[in-house]
Amino acid sequence: MRPDFYVLNWNDLIVSLAFIAFSLFLIKKWKLGLEQTLLVGTLRSFVQLTLMGYVLTWFFDQQHWAFMLSLLFIMILIASYEGTRRQKNEIPHFFSAMFVALLGSAILILGTILLFILDVEPWYSPYAAIPIGGMIIGNGLNSTSLTANRFVGELRHREKEIETLLALGATPKLAVYDAMKASIHAALIPNINAMMTVGLVQLPGVMTGQILAGIDPIIAVRYQIMIMYMWFTTATMANIIMLTIVYRQFFTKKMQLRRELLREQA
Amino acid sequence: MPNDPLFQFIDVSYEAGGNKILSRINFAVHKGEFLAVLGASGAGKSSLLRMFNSLTSPSQGQINFRTQNIDSDIQCLRKNVGILFQNPVVFSGNIRDNLLAAGRWDNNIAQTLDHELTHALEQVEMGNIELTHNAKDLSGGEQQRLALARTLLNHPQVLLLDEPTSNLDPKLSRSIMDLVDKLRKTLKLTVIAVSHDHLLMRRYAGRVIVLSRGEIVGDGPFKALDRSAVFEKAGLLGNEVNDET
Repeated sequence: MRPDFYVLNWNDLIVSLAFIAFSLFLIKKWKLGLEQTLLVGTLRSFVQLTLMGYVLTWFFDQQHWAFMLSLLFIMILIASYEGTRRQKNEIPHFFSAMFVALLGSAILILGTILLFILDVEPWYSPYAAIPIGGMIIGNGLNSTSLTANRFVGELRHREKEIETLLALGATPKLAVYDAMKASIHAALIPNINAMMTVGLVQLPGVMTGQILAGIDPIIAVRYQIMIMYMWFTTATMANIIMLTIVYRQFFTKKMQLRRELLREQA
Repeated sequence: MPNDPLFQFIDVSYEAGGNKILSRINFAVHKGEFLAVLGASGAGKSSLLRMFNSLTSPSQGQINFRTQNIDSDIQCLRKNVGILFQNPVVFSGNIRDNLLAAGRWDNNIAQTLDHELTHALEQVEMGNIELTHNAKDLSGGEQQRLALARTLLNHPQVLLLDEPTSNLDPKLSRSIMDLVDKLRKTLKLTVIAVSHDHLLMRRYAGRVIVLSRGEIVGDGPFKALDRSAVFEKAGLLGNEVNDET
């Protein structure tokens, strides 16, 4: 018989601290020196997530399109900042590139899901827009950060090739086309692999969470399928928008490669 | 005007990363010349060469190509001014793929027929190699010739050489430079070569510009230059790698 809900109460959570106690025991026994870090991590995850729970509860009570759009806008700003911070290389205007890429993906993909797939009524309902918007923005952030790092690596590796193509009369876009292609391939392969093995090797987090919360596995699977398609499209779209802006930063108006940007930074 | 210079450098200076690379460079190059730019490592000769096809721009001053500002049509300039780098870039794929690299943006090259490609290979004395041969399997000298053939398909008026033989042995260096000189005569090319090897260059170049610490310290025919004084000042003596035979 399928239970309707596995409800976790505060007492259950205290019992789960036994995991941390066991980890502490192992850390001490093996003299790993991580006791303090683990205790701080345990406390922080508890406090941060509990607060987030209350914040989300408040968010879910807000039923206004302006609130929802502002929240998504702030999420995209934070993700763009985080993406810029993660960047190991100097890429001029990278924050703007991230922002445009994430905004473009969010408008198209979130809009399609809310309006045409889930038929959410009203479309700005926080129960759908916040978690799905968060997944789109988060996935876009991870994918574009990896792609941008890889792209700079490709430019470094192909510097002579790019200058040879420029010298033969290529535009900057054509000169870096192979570098862009290689970077996007590298970013999308994990997504494709995930689509190949999903359900065979691992059960994805969203689906697991829904099943634990009592949703029919068939419905949970449908959500998961939609999410996989959404992830792939987000990654593809955000990467293409981001690279279309970023590659231009590596050239002057005179179609010269800005080689100073390709030098390794200390 | 028939006597107008092909290139004119007017008070050109160049700085990079806070370092002065070239200072107040003034000279002109005329059609059909074989100009050697000589200088020790760090003299600024590669930066100067890259300015001829606008891969680098001066920080100050102006460069004219056929009396027009060099940047007025950069893609057209680069088709007219081919460059051969020190380490030739060979793309993955076969020789045909490499020769047709510019076919991605130039329809004339995309439509080049196989017999025309073979002719381009014959021009660089590689007529015996199949178009289907893997380009990465070619030797260093052959890769340099393939890069030359690829550049020639653009029908350039000017050929820039960036130490094209520094990674080759003296015999191969001579054969590449003999080929360039032959092409200069048959295709009426203007050749501008940078090198640190004055012994190799004096065989081919009608004129030499000697650079030292970013400044021109000598400009004229080899014979007219006070060889020891100018070359010594430029730190070129002792860099010879080619025999004089």
